[in-house]
Amino acid sequence: MAVGLVIVSHSARLAEGVVELAEQMAHGNVRIIAAGGTDDGALGTSLMKVTQAIFTADSGDGVAVLVDLGSAALVAEMALEQFATARRQRVRISNGPLVEGAVVAAVEAAVGASLDEVVTSADAAVELNKLSKRT
Amino acid sequence: MAADRVCILAWLRRSAEVLHEQRDYLTTLDAAIGDADHGINMDRGFTAVMDKLPSVAEADIGTILKTVGTTLVSTVGGASGPLYGTAFLRAGTALAGRQELQPADIVTGLEAALEGIKARGHAQVGEKTMVDALSPAVEALKVAVASGESLEEALYAAGAAAEAGMQATIPLVATKGRASYLGERSADHQDPGATSVTLLLRAALNGK
Amino acid sequence: MATIQKTLILMNKVGLHARPASLFVQTAAQFTSTITVTSNGRVANAKRILPVLQLGAEYGAELMVVAEGDDATEAIDALTNLVHSRFGESE
Repeated sequence: MAVGLVIVSHSARLAEGVVELAEQMAHGNVRIIAAGGTDDGALGTSLMKVTQAIFTADSGDGVAVLVDLGSAALVAEMALEQFATARRQRVRISNGPLVEGAVVAAVEAAVGASLDEVVTSADAAVELNKLSKRT
Repeated sequence: MAADRVCILAWLRRSAEVLHEQRDYLTTLDAAIGDADHGINMDRGFTAVMDKLPSVAEADIGTILKTVGTTLVSTVGGASGPLYGTAFLRAGTALAGRQELQPADIVTGLEAALEGIKARGHAQVGEKTMVDALSPAVEALKVAVASGESLEEALYAAGAAAEAGMQATIPLVATKGRASYLGERSADHQDPGATSVTLLLRAALNGK
Repeated sequence: MATIQKTLILMNKVGLHARPASLFVQTAAQFTSTITVTSNGRVANAKRILPVLQLGAEYGAELMVVAEGDDATEAIDALTNLVHSRFGESE
């Protein structure tokens, strides 16, 4: 299959929007799962949602987790800690920007890149220039 | 004397009440240096805990604490979710299977909670966080228990130490968490996380 | 084993931006040949999205595509078709 992606955001709608964008890039070849908001739908992050999303995204080739702010990374780290070693070793959290990281990771995953390559690229997406005149 | 499951449940219930009563106070503190949501988040989290507790009312203390932890991490929302969640999960793991707690067990549980928060938040004392209240509280509790004071006295000492630590966060410049974005401007404000820690520890006495 | 080189002009409005770049990369990745794309004096591995995006190739830019390998001809044909079709954009 391919490396899967989990999009963790404080906002359910933001997470779903990033999934929509990344899916368009991956053309349906990558599992991209949203984990946004708390269990009761408020702004925030939920360990349960993130954990379930990682399970859903994992086809055996690994999962790259993209996070937005503050607690999103903490919750993702907690999710990893509960996994058995085998699964934990194939889940990585990216330090990259949420939107650019997700888009880059989706394309990388779609062309069959390894988990390492997907995460390295997502991390490096921070270097993308938004304004072409400033290259 | 020891604390049994009934005491723990009473403490959690009292904590939920206190956090609800102090919701606006915590949020006002957080508005100065954070996202103005700490009170709302903690109240929401502990309301969810109250809904969940009946399902573990007959369980051992470790299970109760772990249930509180997982509930908080999925409902609080802000960074205090994973931080308090980790604290309760670690304490629950340290006290797995226990039906009642001796004072020394409470030290063990709180130490595990403190280590969990420090590890999760990569925080140390003096960075204007929950650690600034919890760390001196654990120390005070340990000293009181070691010198043979009663559980009430030891908890009182812990609460007083937390409060002193909380007040000591006022002049500090935050270097961890959301408040650290403000740099020098985070000084002259009391840390909301240290405040909620103090409220929870104080609730242990009021719950009796 | 062949090496094929071709220069293409980006005729789609947004240039080699996110969606077109992802199509470009995913098309290139279907072939075993080594494929590079050069634009604005930068060289990128055509099968990696980040370097391709970092080319910053805009409308009207020249892309020099070089494919080396057993399916180099097919690779160049596919990428040529993609660029000439303006990546499926309406204008």
